[in-house]
Formats: sequence, C-alpha cells, structure tokens
Amino acid sequence: MDLFNSLRISSSALQAQRLRMDTISSNLANMETTRTPEGGPYQKKSVVFRPVGTSFEERLDRSLRGAVQGVRVDRILADTSEPKLVYDPSHPDADETGYVAMPNINLMDEMVDMKSASRAYEANVTVVKASKRMALKALEIGR
Amino acid sequence: MSNLGIFDQTSQLLHKVLDLRQQNQQVIASNIANGNTPGYTAARFEFAEALSAAVGRNDGKMAATHARHFPLSQNNLDQVSGRVLRTPDQSGVGDGNNVSVDQEMLNMAENQLLYEAAAQMLSKKLGLLKYVAQDGR
Repeated sequence: MDLFNSLRISSSALQAQRLRMDTISSNLANMETTRTPEGGPYQKKSVVFRPVGTSFEERLDRSLRGAVQGVRVDRILADTSEPKLVYDPSHPDADETGYVAMPNINLMDEMVDMKSASRAYEANVTVVKASKRMALKALEIGR
Repeated sequence: MSNLGIFDQTSQLLHKVLDLRQQNQQVIASNIANGNTPGYTAARFEFAEALSAAVGRNDGKMAATHARHFPLSQNNLDQVSGRVLRTPDQSGVGDGNNVSVDQEMLNMAENQLLYEAAAQMLSKKLGLLKYVAQDGR
C-alpha cells in the first residue's frame, strides 16, 4: 500500500523541522555566548532544506517521477556576519576599548523562525493523521 | 478481474479512484513536506477530467476479432494515470518556493474525504454482493 509512502514523506519533514527547531533553540541558548572552542563568539546556525526522492520504486513510477519528494536537511550553515559589539568593560572577554563581541543573533528572527517551524511540524502531523485514516478506511473495505 | 461479472464497472471505477486519490495524497504530502524548501515548486496531480472522459467513453470499446490479437483493454479506465503539473513561482519575491500550506491542507482534506467516500461505496457494493450471495439473509 502506497499510503506508507505518504507517511514516509511526512516523517522526513517532521525530522527536518525538528532539526530546525534544534538549531533555533541552540541559537537562543547561545545568545550571550562569547567563548566557543573555535574562538570568538557563537555563530548563528541555520538549516538548509533540500527535496529528496523517498525511494527507488517511486522514482521508477512514470506518472509521479520527481513529483513525490520528501525533504531533508542539506547542511547547517553558520552565519559568518560580523559579531555585534557591545560596550561592557566589566565583561571578562572585553577588549582593551571595553567592547565585547556578542553573537549576531536577533531574538525576533529566531522567534518568527520558531513559530514557522512549529506550524510546519503541525501541518505535517495533520498529513500523517490523514494518511493514516485513509489507510484504515481502505482496510475496512469489505468488512 | 473484468471477466468476473460481479466485479463490474462500478467496482473498477472505485478501485481506480482509490488508486488515484492515494497518489494525490502522496503529491500533497510532498508539497507540505517541502513547505520550507527554497526553490521548491508545488506539484498538482490532475486526473478528474481524464477519469470522467474514460467513464463517458466506455460504450464505444474495441473488441479483439481474433484469438491471437493483442489484448485490447476492456475499457479505457485502466489507462487513466493522471498527470503531474508544476507551475514555477514567477513572483520573484521570496525564495522561489510557491507552496501555499493552507491551500494544500484544503486539498488534502478534500482528497481524504473523497477517498473515504470511495472506500465506503466500495464497501457497500461488496456488502450488497454478500447479501445476494447469501440468498438475501
């Protein structure tokens, strides 16, 4: 039954959105991190999505070739833009002029991104529910 | 299957509808899954016109006149496969992704209801056959 294919597609999306949520929470948690193992302040991370065919069979299917695609995280990008300089001479990582390099993370951007990830997750859960109901209905045929 | 009298045109049509709606569900699922993918173009699965044309066309079916002819399909219903349409985003704003999640959710709800309706009709149809086969008991 190919409704399982729909389920696989939606599950790939759930996984991708959860990873996106993970990067957002990492960004929010590290808003004030000035010291990282790589040196310098924490860099904002963002995920890049890429469509991906879910299985060989469905790539073979003539009418649906290329149309049915799951999603996956292609890579996690670090934002290399300049850190935000904040004047705080008492901070241990302040330079000689009293400025501290803080991560370039905008709280509003992260919150909007978080809402978007959470809504996308919900939409995919709804698709999973619908596909499951359809599969169950098909099982009821002839009962 | 079509040689068996009890599995008539209605059953075949419902079978086809379930098949096509299930494929449509896959296409909608992948659109929603890629709702945040840059550059993704939403796909539409279209089959309604081809299906209704195949149903209407049924009276003029061809017949094989020799036993060794290639088998001609009993009707054109089997050949309905639907097609996938993509219209790339031409608005030039945003990241080239033209999935509208609300539209997709509506399409999915509609698709789901019609799938369940077809499943129920097939179920009723089989129930009727059972009733007859059991001599109306």
